[in-house]
Amino acid sequence: MKSRLCGADTLVREKLEPRLVKAGLVKAGLAEAKASAILTAIHRSLTVLVEVLREIFDESAYQRFLDRSQLQSSPNAYAIFLKENEQAKSRRPRCC
Amino acid sequence: MPKIARYLLWIAVSLLGAFALATIALHRGEQINALWLVVAAVSTYAVGYRFYSSFISAKLLALDPLRATPAERLDNGRDFVPTNKWVVFGHHFAAIAGPGPLVGPVLAAQFGYLPGTLWIIAGAVLGGCVQDFIILLFSVRRDGKSLTEMAKSEISRVGGLVAYVAVLSIIVILLAVTALIVVNALKSSPWGAFTIAMTMPIAVLMGLYLRRIRPGKVLETSLLGFVLVVAAIFGGQWVSQTPSWAAVFTLTAPTLAILIILYGFAASALPVWLLLAPRDYLSTFVKLGTISLLALGIVALRPSLHMPPLTRFADGTGPVFAGKIFPFAFITIACGAISGFHSLISSGTTPKLIRHETETRIVGYGGMLAESLVAIMAMIAASVLQPGVYFAINSPAGIVGQAPEAAATTISSWGFPLAATQMATLAHAVGEQTLFNRTGGAPAFAVGMAQIFSNTLGGEAVMALWYHFAIMFEALFILTILDAGTRVGRFMLQDALGHIWKPLGRTSWYPSIFLTSAVIVAAWGNFLWQGIKDPLGGINSLWPLFGICNQLLATVALCVATTIIVKMACAKTVGAKTPRLSYVFVTLIPLCWLVAVTFTASWHKILDPNPRIGFLTHARQLAAAGGNPRLIFNDRLDAAVTGVLVVMVAMILIESSLECMRVISGSKPAVTKEAPFVMTKLAVEEHA
Repeated sequence: MKSRLCGADTLVREKLEPRLVKAGLVKAGLAEAKASAILTAIHRSLTVLVEVLREIFDESAYQRFLDRSQLQSSPNAYAIFLKENEQAKSRRPRCC
Repeated sequence: MPKIARYLLWIAVSLLGAFALATIALHRGEQINALWLVVAAVSTYAVGYRFYSSFISAKLLALDPLRATPAERLDNGRDFVPTNKWVVFGHHFAAIAGPGPLVGPVLAAQFGYLPGTLWIIAGAVLGGCVQDFIILLFSVRRDGKSLTEMAKSEISRVGGLVAYVAVLSIIVILLAVTALIVVNALKSSPWGAFTIAMTMPIAVLMGLYLRRIRPGKVLETSLLGFVLVVAAIFGGQWVSQTPSWAAVFTLTAPTLAILIILYGFAASALPVWLLLAPRDYLSTFVKLGTISLLALGIVALRPSLHMPPLTRFADGTGPVFAGKIFPFAFITIACGAISGFHSLISSGTTPKLIRHETETRIVGYGGMLAESLVAIMAMIAASVLQPGVYFAINSPAGIVGQAPEAAATTISSWGFPLAATQMATLAHAVGEQTLFNRTGGAPAFAVGMAQIFSNTLGGEAVMALWYHFAIMFEALFILTILDAGTRVGRFMLQDALGHIWKPLGRTSWYPSIFLTSAVIVAAWGNFLWQGIKDPLGGINSLWPLFGICNQLLATVALCVATTIIVKMACAKTVGAKTPRLSYVFVTLIPLCWLVAVTFTASWHKILDPNPRIGFLTHARQLAAAGGNPRLIFNDRLDAAVTGVLVVMVAMILIESSLECMRVISGSKPAVTKEAPFVMTKLAVEEHA
């Protein structure tokens, strides 16, 4: 996650900022602030996207299980998690 | 943004939406660009979300940001977890988006693109989103109670029983009709059958990888599974071109039906971790990716719609399914406009994740808008096909004839020119032996999607790969619905039977598991078998039956919502913000519309004198001609199922109306069964 965001940071600094200045859209002094705002927006979007995927794919649920039971991730811990969640998961209807 | 700029922005959005709607409604005799549908839909959704859902939030429901939700009060890190609204939105959308919004619009395109598109847009903004949003909020205010529990506590015990039967019926019919779609998509298609067969060992590998090598790394595992599935699509091409292997995977409809029935039983009775859970993840992964890809494809390619806005089949003589626009277009498109099934999700997992009451608006109303947009994309995928091709794929042999030349002649005589050679070329391009009589909607959607994708990426050369990718995507998540649905049905049955004899209610007792699994599988398997043996293709009978069940469930949900709103409006709680009674129109109008649609459709399906529509007329016609007793029995069974459901929903309507009248007249105190108000700590922390 961190490295992906670093990539985005570099992209904004190296590509976007000079373009904004060159296009006259923002003055040089403002470019950094604009770039920073864009970076924050990208960061927030990526974080939300990753969190959505982690929730949909039960990775967050597994993490919560590990925190709750104070276990380290392992095949055994995952087996217990699956067993605990089997009933709840099986009762969840899938929509048409 | 300054106030005047906001006004101007929303006036511009409204005008754009009105102009786009006028364009799609008034153009006759010339093709229009698919983007007009997208612009009309998105503009209307934006206005609906900004103004109508805001009105409902503020005036009707009085969403309270200070009221603690069950996710906060009952937080156990397992079922009840306060979760970021966008995360809940994604989770909710992934749960409500199934094959319905893809298949329904494709089938309804036989009327032309206009009726279905208008219904999808209006139905979602005024009906479907309202239902999902309000049921979600009411469930949140009742500690995440299910629709059945709310019907029981807010209306009566009869209400609870009707909701239970409606849910079980819809599950059975849904499973049958989705299984039929898979059978029709995979019959005589070695490429498709091989690809889908391969998803099973792939899922087992994923299960082992997840459990033994990288515990809990589901995203990574799903990505690996996706790569393997893509490899299986390429493998399928090789299989279809190798005569000895092609023969093994060329399966008839009955063989496929038997395999799917056996699969459903095994999936319901066996532990989930090895096969089902990984398949579920894989299916969700492919579903979300493909829907995003389709949206990008439509925006990038901006295809023209070849289907006219209205076809001659508005008169009810359509080959895909018989019946006029009213009521049949409105039950054919359920998911995407309004779907009762969503009320199960809105009163299931989602309310237990909501962090603040105010977030039910984006999750409930907004989530349904997103699904509605998926339905618009499906309508576009069907309408980019030449109408002749669309009808050749979706018409059963019983209507257009078995031989390609005869089918092409019949379809051309309807005013949609088609040559048998044109279909042969198309079938060859997508790697199939034939595309005639592929009823069910999935193959037509796959051809439309393949056209859009191949024009965006790869060209004609890869059309066959895109077609089979689309078929794999549809079949994969339909099979996921089959196994999950069979299990849900089994649990519901076990819960009910447990009241009769306790051991039957034990979900880990194998005799009970086998018995209840067999009952559920036999129920949907019977309808599936009926569908594949039906000379009219099965979809003609089963899809309207499914639509009626789904909309009847929506009627139940709106009955519950209306009763609660009446109670809220009549409650005399000091200091509490209560809505005006007149605001009950928000749920009452869609409720009245659904009652009109479902009851009219049910009447037609049971008693219509046209044998292609009325089950009983068809049964009489078959009996007079000395037809197959099994087909006669099936028609009578379909009529009985429809009749029983309508009577039960009529009962809940009466119960709900009586309850409302008692509350309005003051003969019964207006007491809702909400959980007591508790001040949120999350809001206090966030405001501090």
